[in-house]
This record gives sequence, structure tokens and C-alpha cells, in this order.
Amino acid sequence: MKKGQIDFQFLIIVMALLAFGLIMVFSASSESARYNFSNAYFFIQKQIIWAAISIVAMVMLANFDYHRFGKLAFPILLASIIMLVMVIFIGEDIKGGKRWLNLGFASFQPSEVAKIAIIIFFSCSLSKNPGILNKFWRGLVPYLAIIGVFAGLLMCEPHFSGTVVLAGIGLVILFVAGAKGSHLFMLGSPAVVAGWYLIISEEYRWKRITAFLDPFKDKLGDGWQIIQSLYAIGSGGIFGLGLGRSRQKFLYIPEPHNDFIFSILCEELGFIGAMLTILLFAALIWRGIKIAMNAPDTFGSLMAVGITALIAIEVIINIAVVTSSMPVTGMPLPFFSYGGTSLLIIMCCMGIMLNISRHSKS
Amino acid sequence: MQNSKARMKLKKRMYYTLSVCMLLLVLLIGRTGYLQIARGDQLQKQAVEQQTRDRIINSKRGTIFDRNGKPLAVSASVETVTASPSEVRENSKVAPTEKVAAALAEILELDYDFVHGKITRESSYEIIKRRIEKEKADKVRQFITENKVVGIRLDADTKRFYPYASLAAHVIGFTGLDNQGLEGIEMVFDKNLKGSPGRIISAKNAAGIEMPFKYEKLVNPQDGLNVVLTIDETIQRFAEKHLETALIENKLLKGGACIVLDPKSGEVLAMTTKPDFDLNNPFDLQDESIKKQLQLLDDDARSKANEEELRKMWRNKAVVDSYEPGSTFKIFTAAMALEEKVVSLNDTFFCTGSKKVASHNIRCWKAGGHGSQTFVEGVKNSCNPVFIEVGARIGAVQFMNYFTGLGFTQKTGIELPGEAPGIFHTRAKFNEVELATSSFGQSFQITPLQMISGVAAIANGGQLMRPHLVKSLTDSNDNIVTEFESEMVRQVISKETSDTLCWLLEKVVADGTGSGAYIKGFRVAGKTGTSEKLPRGSGKYVASFAGFAPADDPQVVCLVILDEPSSGLYYGGQIASPVVRSILEDTLNYLGIEPAYTAEEKATLETSVPTVAGQTIKDAKSALSNQNLKAKVIGQGDTVLSQIPKGGIKVNQQSTITLYTEEYSEPVTVTVPNVLQNSVLSASDIILKANLNIKVVGAGASPEVGGVTAYKQDPPAGTVVEAGTIVTVEFRRIEAGE
Repeated sequence: MKKGQIDFQFLIIVMALLAFGLIMVFSASSESARYNFSNAYFFIQKQIIWAAISIVAMVMLANFDYHRFGKLAFPILLASIIMLVMVIFIGEDIKGGKRWLNLGFASFQPSEVAKIAIIIFFSCSLSKNPGILNKFWRGLVPYLAIIGVFAGLLMCEPHFSGTVVLAGIGLVILFVAGAKGSHLFMLGSPAVVAGWYLIISEEYRWKRITAFLDPFKDKLGDGWQIIQSLYAIGSGGIFGLGLGRSRQKFLYIPEPHNDFIFSILCEELGFIGAMLTILLFAALIWRGIKIAMNAPDTFGSLMAVGITALIAIEVIINIAVVTSSMPVTGMPLPFFSYGGTSLLIIMCCMGIMLNISRHSKS
Repeated sequence: MQNSKARMKLKKRMYYTLSVCMLLLVLLIGRTGYLQIARGDQLQKQAVEQQTRDRIINSKRGTIFDRNGKPLAVSASVETVTASPSEVRENSKVAPTEKVAAALAEILELDYDFVHGKITRESSYEIIKRRIEKEKADKVRQFITENKVVGIRLDADTKRFYPYASLAAHVIGFTGLDNQGLEGIEMVFDKNLKGSPGRIISAKNAAGIEMPFKYEKLVNPQDGLNVVLTIDETIQRFAEKHLETALIENKLLKGGACIVLDPKSGEVLAMTTKPDFDLNNPFDLQDESIKKQLQLLDDDARSKANEEELRKMWRNKAVVDSYEPGSTFKIFTAAMALEEKVVSLNDTFFCTGSKKVASHNIRCWKAGGHGSQTFVEGVKNSCNPVFIEVGARIGAVQFMNYFTGLGFTQKTGIELPGEAPGIFHTRAKFNEVELATSSFGQSFQITPLQMISGVAAIANGGQLMRPHLVKSLTDSNDNIVTEFESEMVRQVISKETSDTLCWLLEKVVADGTGSGAYIKGFRVAGKTGTSEKLPRGSGKYVASFAGFAPADDPQVVCLVILDEPSSGLYYGGQIASPVVRSILEDTLNYLGIEPAYTAEEKATLETSVPTVAGQTIKDAKSALSNQNLKAKVIGQGDTVLSQIPKGGIKVNQQSTITLYTEEYSEPVTVTVPNVLQNSVLSASDIILKANLNIKVVGAGASPEVGGVTAYKQDPPAGTVVEAGTIVTVEFRRIEAGE
């Protein structure tokens, strides 16, 4: 197959998000870095190094024919299951969950790998068996079972938000691949019930829900984070306080460069900046779906859909959380939140997207 | 075909997915916009609240001056030590909290545990000690710099200081912990005095540490205005000195009050209540015996009782406590009758010792009665039946009108807290008997301030002026910001009636019941008052005297109230009039008012002793005889070396001056004889015979008064003094009475 041009619009959006993300990580992290490490550049230094590595990885994957993932689909799936089991036993416990595997030079979340594994495996398997989803027991159920296994393992950590994203990606791929509406509905209802049970079974999750409903009730306790986030967003107004001039990053928002980085963005750049950011993501998603539609085969289409869904779900949940539109759950904002390995994985996905775009039919 | 159909379905599903994503993103844009635009201001306000530290810089409280610019209440600069515990904790590696606490405890004389508790508390602001002097503040500052302490601050503050301690305590009032006015002028003019505090607003992070970038606002404090009182510190001191003496001499169980007023303007020149308290320690009870009693109580009861006693101590009797004025009120009954022309000065009355009104038999204070007397004599005698008759002639309606007109049913509006309006009969219940008793000042209550404003109106040609304490408000450069003009309330009686009353009241002092207030050359006018507290027969009295001088052009009005005297005497004429006399005498001399002597007074006038030391005996004797003075020569010398009394001192004519002519000659000493209970003549005789000189004070000084007796002498009998020394003897009328 001859190689065509990559989707430049997509690449520009990705690079814009990456650059924008780095600027925001620096702005948001400088004060807590100064306070905790006496070095305002502590976080941004690391993030820049990871960004460089990520760009290299993206370029490599853009030149790596995606069809070759077909052969790797099953091994990656197996490897990620093993890692998910490992993390339960030897994972690093950070803030109420064993989610991290330490490789010595860096730590990463096996859940991130699992998402990729699901995308590749589902895309590969579904493209090889067209029409299989018309069958219920021999079609849809085995895929759902795979999702169930991953979800079960993730909940052992526990990692609720990871579970939601992973299940979300899986379901989106199944939906696009042609799962029957009646089947989905039949299964959807019990899933909602099960989800509800999971939420009320753990006290901390329940607390997060109530904190979302009335954050000002428990100002210094569970509501603290979300109130601080709202203060930051509200303080921004239309035009914002100016880049680098957030006040809420002064230890009011815990780890302002992580999950709540969007609040700092809102505070510094105002509604204009926030809207621009969301539109940038919308553009990325739109280009992503475009790539999926123009992919030469079902495997490429489904993989592009899966990766786009991954970005979309994470962006929507993250922004919904920081704007107090849903209960708090730890969800990073792609390209923006601090974290080297997660950035690397996103950029790898972007590489795959670019490669798919090179095989575009038109 | 199959493939293309599947492809279509794939695309359709992708569009669904894209649509859902876009919808959710649009919703999130909406949500963000709502938070940032619709709720932005509110959220930002709350955010700023938590992000800023607001420090108050106290403004300097204005000074309270007397009318001549003497400072009565001033604010001194002091400093308050505060801590920002989170910062202290952050810095504990450099300066351990234990060390900081120990040093602060030592410098500030506080308990170590108390200080350590404060600087380690989970809070961002703690006050460690308020208002420390500069000396201590400097020590704290030195400790901070030497030990690199962070989070301990010294904030500028002010402390109220009263240079004259207890002077005019009830008028000035005092301030509380936050420099807020709690009593008196300090309270009423609190808003003007305190100015507006400034603020330093600085940004802080969640750990309470100030943010690095400029986000600081400074609002300068605005100093308070000064209050210039109408009080004259010197006259206030005279009033306090003499009232204090009366308080002790008469063992006043409920204290005393005194007001001095300028009748022309209504300005209060002095106002005092005794016993008083130290404005610099207003929460210390002054009465040691009460303090001891409180010690016996348990904690709860003690703090309650303590509070009650403090309130009692702070009570300004002159405006808060109403009393039954008794005979002093006859001034007004006489004024109403003369104004209404229902009586003339020569009308005759007959007093049998009591008068029947309706079915009640109302007695005169003098058992047996005053017999036949003119209206003038009735006033001089303070005869109750005369005033019952006069009151009846005025009638209830007119009496009530005048009573209201004189301001006795309303607060005067003086700039002090807690003024009482007085208590009077309602129109419906103001009948024959009530009118009769009211006519001689019983069965109702007014405040001392209402009383003296009424008297001032009589003295001021019938114009009632609003009594006031504050002349003006000035800024820190002494520019007048607000001036309070004198305000006439109304014309109560005519000028003619006023003149007649001044003449009449001068008679009361010249040879009537008020002779204790007599001052040679100053034409004092006034009226005595004594009222028995309810229930009648309780043996508890309020003695009072209202006087003014000079009668032909009144400059000063003075009222003295002695509440429950317990040393035997209780008539106003006996114990209150001498106090007014002393205060008026000092005040008139201080104000530089020239005495005007009558012919009779001139005959007994004092003369100034010439300085004759250094002269020959012959020259000295002639110089003395020129002044109607006698000489007694001690020693064999030719020239006078020294003299007793010294030159310039005022003595009675015919006094003897002792002249010493020899150096080292033993001074001739004599023992002061006892002259108490003697008449003026015999007392003078005894003293002159003892080679001493006499100064006659009080009723005895009036040439018109007969039947007086000495009741006080200074120095007392038995004292050994040099020959020629002046013995001051006070006289009062033998006939005890109002």
C-alpha cells in the first residue's frame, strides 16, 4: 500500500494542544513546585522532557503501518491483563488506589495500556469478523465479557474513572461496529443498576456524589476541592486574570497542575480561553472521526474511533468534574494534566491516528 | 454491495457518536460560561475573601479638650503584638516555637503556655498582647530581627490616657478594649472621635503566607476629630475640691453632684459627681469596703455584683438621677406668681405652722410657724404655707404650663448618655393637693441638670438656654469642623420678673436661709432646698443649694446636691450653701470678675497688709495705720526685720500685725483658742486677744444677718502658730432651717 499524506489539520491541532498544555502545566504548577520543592520549574522540566520523548514516539508511530498492530492485538491484550494483575499486588499506592507500576525510571498506569489494548483488540477482532455483532451470545457477549474482566481488574485497584473510560471506549467501538440497538438496551439497563450499586457500595464514592450536589455544605471537607475549583473558574470572568496570574493555584487547589488544571486555565484565561480550549478539543474529535470515516478499512476506522472516543470521554468527564457538573472522580485532562507516561500514551495514539490518516482513501 | 451497506452503517454510527460528543462539549461550554459570567462576580468575591488578609490600622482617636485647650483625654501611640501561627510554624526550623514563646512571654510578662498556645494554634491571626509601650515593643522588634523570627508582627495601635485621672470622670467617660467609647462624651461622640480605620489588604495563599506578587491595597486611616468641651478644667477642679470636702464632712451615703453653668450661653463649665473613679482604670472599684464585701461572694455572684457596683460608680448623678428638689423649687413658684401678677412683693401672709388643703394638713418646716410675713419674708424664710397659697393663686393649669415651659418634663438634650426626663403628675391627676405640694417642690422629681437650667433661665432674663457640654469639633490641625452654637429654647418669664427674682434671691442669701453662700462683694443670689426621701420619716435627706452671682448680672450658676448626709446636719442652708459659696468665690475670682462692695460691706472690708520689712518702726507703724491696721513690736531693734502676716495678705481692718525687730529673736508663738459656737463679735474678740487675726467667712460675713454662730475654724483650736496668723472662721445661722 502506498503511503499518502498525513492529516495536517489533525497534526496542527495536536501540536497546538501539546504546546498549550505545556504552558498551562508551567503556569499551574510553578507555585506548588516552589512551595513543595523550592523550585518553580520542578514539574515543567520533567514534563518538557516527556513531551520531547512523546513527539519522537508520535513520529515513529506515524510511520509505523497500523495494520501491523493486527498481529500484536492479542499479545498486547494479554500483557495488559498481566500488568493489571501485577499492579494489584505490587502497585504503588497513591491517594486511595494501587494504580501505578514503578519501572525504576518512571511509573505508569497499566490502565492506560489496557485502554490501548482494548482499542486494538476490538478493532482487529471486529474487522476480521464482520456481522458477528448481529449475534447476541456468540457476538456481543464475548466482547462485553472482555470489558467485564478489565473492569473487574480495574475495580480491584480500585480505579473507578479508569473503569468508566475503558468501558466507554469498548462500548463506543461496539456501537460503531454495528452492535444491535435492542441488544445494547437489554444489557444497558442492568449495567446502570450495577453502576449504581458500585457507587453506593463505597463510602468515598458516595461522599463524592453528595459533595457534587452541594459542595458548599462541607466547605473544608469533601467540598473543598470542588469549591476551590469553582472559585477559580468564577474568578476568571470573561477575559481571565491573565496568564500566570491565577491566585487559586497558591495551594488553594490541591495539585493545580493535575486534574484541576482546567480550573486554573479558566481563571487565567477566562471564558474566552476556556471556550477556545473546548473548541480545540472539539476540532480534534471532529478530525478524529473524519480520519475514521476515511480509513481504508474497518480495522483503521474502528481504531480511529476508539482513540477519538478515548480523548473525548476523558475531556468531557474532566471538564464536567471541574465545573461541578458531575461527581468528582480523578480524571486527567489529555495534553494538559501533568504526567509523563499518560502524555506519552496519548501522543502514541496520536501517532497511530496520523498513520491511519496516511492511508486515507481520498 | 454488502460491504458498502456495512460501511454506511459504520458511518452513520460514527455520526451519532460525533453528535453526542459535540452536544456534550457545547453543554460544557455553556456550563463554563454560566460559572464565569453569570456567577463570576459572586464566586470571585468569595475567592478574594479567602485569598486576602485584611489588616486593620487603627485611626488615632481624637483628643478631648477643655474650653481652654487643656487635654482631658489623649491617645498615646502603642503597639499590639500579633502572630500569624502558620508562618511561625513554617519557620520553626529557623526559630523554634518554644524559643519564640519563651522570649515573648518574658518580654510581655505573659504565661509561657499561653503564648505557645497562641503561636501554634490552627489559625492565621492571633493577638498576643494589646497595647504595649514603645520600650517593650522595641525589645520584641530586636528579638525578631536577631533571631530571624517570621510571623510575629507589631501593629500600630493607640491607647487612651487621661492626664487628670478622675477629673470630670463622669462627663468624659472612657473607652473599652477596642478603643470604643463606653461612657460619657467618649460614648456620645464616639463616631467623631474614632475617625475611620485604615486597612492593609494583602494576598495570601492557602497556608496563610503572603503571595509574592503585588496584590496589596492600602487605605489610609482617617484620624478622629477632637472634641472641645465647654468645661473649664480650673472651675471643674474647684467644684470637685469643694464637693469632695462636703462628701467627707457630711458623710454622704449616696454621694453628691454639682453643676456650674454659664447662664447666658447654657455652657456647662463644670459637672461632677462624687465619689468618682479613675478614668485610667475605670474597671477598678474605688470603694475599698465594697471591694472587700465582693471578695466574700462566690465567682458568679461576685462578677454580677461587681458589674452592678461599677455601673453605680459610673453613674452620672447630675443628669441620670432625678430627685425631689424641695424648697429650691420655690424659685419657680415665685417666678410664676410674679409673672402672672397674682402676688406682689408686699402681700402679707400668715403662717401658723401648717395649712389645710382639701382634707390634708400640710405642715411648714418650722414648727410653730412664721407668723405674719410679707411675700419677700416668706421667700427668705422659705415658708411652705406662703407657697401653698401662692400656688393656689397660680392655679393648676398655669402651674403645669410653666412647669413644662421651664423644661422640667423633657430631657434637656445634653450630650451625655442616660439622661432622665424627670417624673411629674399627669394633668388629670394634678389636683389641689398635688398643686400645693408641688408649689414647694415636693411630690415630683427632676434631674439636677433640669433644675440648674431652670435657675439659669431665671438668672438670664427669663431665657431658657439649652445646656450643652461641647463647644466644637476640631481636626488634627485645630481647625474648627463643627461649631455648636448656644441655643435658646424659649423665653420662660419676662425680663422684669427675672430682675425681681434676682433681687429677691439675693435677699435670701443676704439675710435669709441661704446666708451660708454669702460672699462679700459678689452679690450671691440663691435658694436652699431640703427634701426628705420617701417614705417621709425615713430620716434620709437630700440637701441642695442653687445659687448664682453677681445678682445684677449673673455670670455663673451653681447647683450642689448632697445625697443622704449622715453626720447630723441635713439642711441645705447649713451644708449645701457653703459649698456653693466656696465654688462661686473661687470661680468668680478665677474669671476675674471685679467685686462690687456695698457701703455696709466697705465698713468691714478687709485690707491688704503693706510690706513694712526694712522700714523703721515709725514708718512701719504709720504705713499700717494708714490701712487701719495695728502694730505689735517684738524686740528692741529700730528697723522691722520681718512681719506676720506677710505683705499682700488680706486681713480685716483693725487687725494686728506683728513686727520683729531683732535678728534671731524667738518667734512669738501662741496657741489657737477655740471659738466654735461663738458669735462673730465674741469670736473676733477672743482671736484678737490671743494676738491672732480673724477672717470671717459664710453667714457671719453678711452685715445683714444676725444670730450666727461659728461652726468651723482653721487652724483648729490647740494648734501652736506664730502671733499674727490668720484664723479663718466660718459662721452659719443659729436658727437651723431651710
